Amino acid sequence: MDQPRTDEDQGLVARAQSGDAAAFDDLVVKYSPRLYGLIYNMTSNHEDTNDMLQDVFAKAYRAIKGFRGKSSFYTWIHTIAVNMTLNFLKKRGRRYHLSLDDVDASIQNDKEFIELTSTSSPVREADLSELQVRLNEAMMKLSDEHRAVVTMFHIQGMPHAEISKILGVSEGTVRSRLFYANRQLQNYLDEFRKNPVG
Amino acid sequence: MDNLDENEIGKLLRLKKYEQPPPGYFENFLHEFHRRQRDELLRQPVWSVLWQRFSDSLFRLNIPSLTSYPAAVAAVLVCAAVISLKVYQTPHSPGVAMGDSRALLSNESVIDQMQAERVADNFTLSSPLATRSLGPDLSRQTTESAYTHRATTPPRYVLDRLPVSYEPSFNF
Repeated sequence: MDQPRTDEDQGLVARAQSGDAAAFDDLVVKYSPRLYGLIYNMTSNHEDTNDMLQDVFAKAYRAIKGFRGKSSFYTWIHTIAVNMTLNFLKKRGRRYHLSLDDVDASIQNDKEFIELTSTSSPVREADLSELQVRLNEAMMKLSDEHRAVVTMFHIQGMPHAEISKILGVSEGTVRSRLFYANRQLQNYLDEFRKNPVG
Repeated sequence: MDNLDENEIGKLLRLKKYEQPPPGYFENFLHEFHRRQRDELLRQPVWSVLWQRFSDSLFRLNIPSLTSYPAAVAAVLVCAAVISLKVYQTPHSPGVAMGDSRALLSNESVIDQMQAERVADNFTLSSPLATRSLGPDLSRQTTESAYTHRATTPPRYVLDRLPVSYEPSFNF
């Protein structure tokens, strides 16, 4: 996934800092789809994601005057979103239910989807909704920190360096968490492969 | 059946980007954001709202940067005023270099000694010209002046003199 051009944000941020509400609206419009995907894949719940996303932008709106530009706005807003979501998940604990969004029909044209459904048996044998549930269940078995890394790297397509900035950990830690999470996902999905109907 | 490798897991996870909220969600999201902001604003006490607006207006005017220059100018003016006061209070001492009044006060014994010597000189017979007096001594010695005023006023270093008279010096 392409990252938005952060230099374009500087002007919007400066205007928002001077009290221009329309400039902040532009930032909301620009970043809400990305942040929605980030939070949704960490919570696996649409309602929680909606509330969290509102809270993230409300917090960013209150704090934007204190934003000094030491990092890009992109990193800053993602850091807020990840930290708030991790705090929310800690409070929520293990009490959760999947409330998943619909899979967009354009997935049928995705090259990787076609490739996976033609070669990989777990995917080929499962229908789309079942695959979605299985994937999200597997994701929810990861710890919150591991799920955050998997979401940012695999789903959002962020580089290791960006993830390390957002989480405030070293790149080595990011790689280590990613490796461990991949191993865990592999195990969960192998169970799914052996027992496709659950 | 082969196990899923890391690459396939990555591909599978990337498909999750197709999980999307209902159509129109992001269009309504901004309206919902505005509504929540208004609700939050209404819940806040009036003083908090007013303070926030006041700070917003200050931030918009960039008051902190504007105030830095007058503050610097004011600091310079205060320093200048203090220095000028010190300079003004410092006594002028043309000709008589006695910079420190405390030094003068500490020399009381010297002054007394000099006075005693002068009195003694007035009664000497060895040099009438040197001791001749034409009346009361009209000129005041610097030591007298300092001695006279040292108790109440700062010592004076300017010799008191009579004004110049245009009348003839001798009366016949």
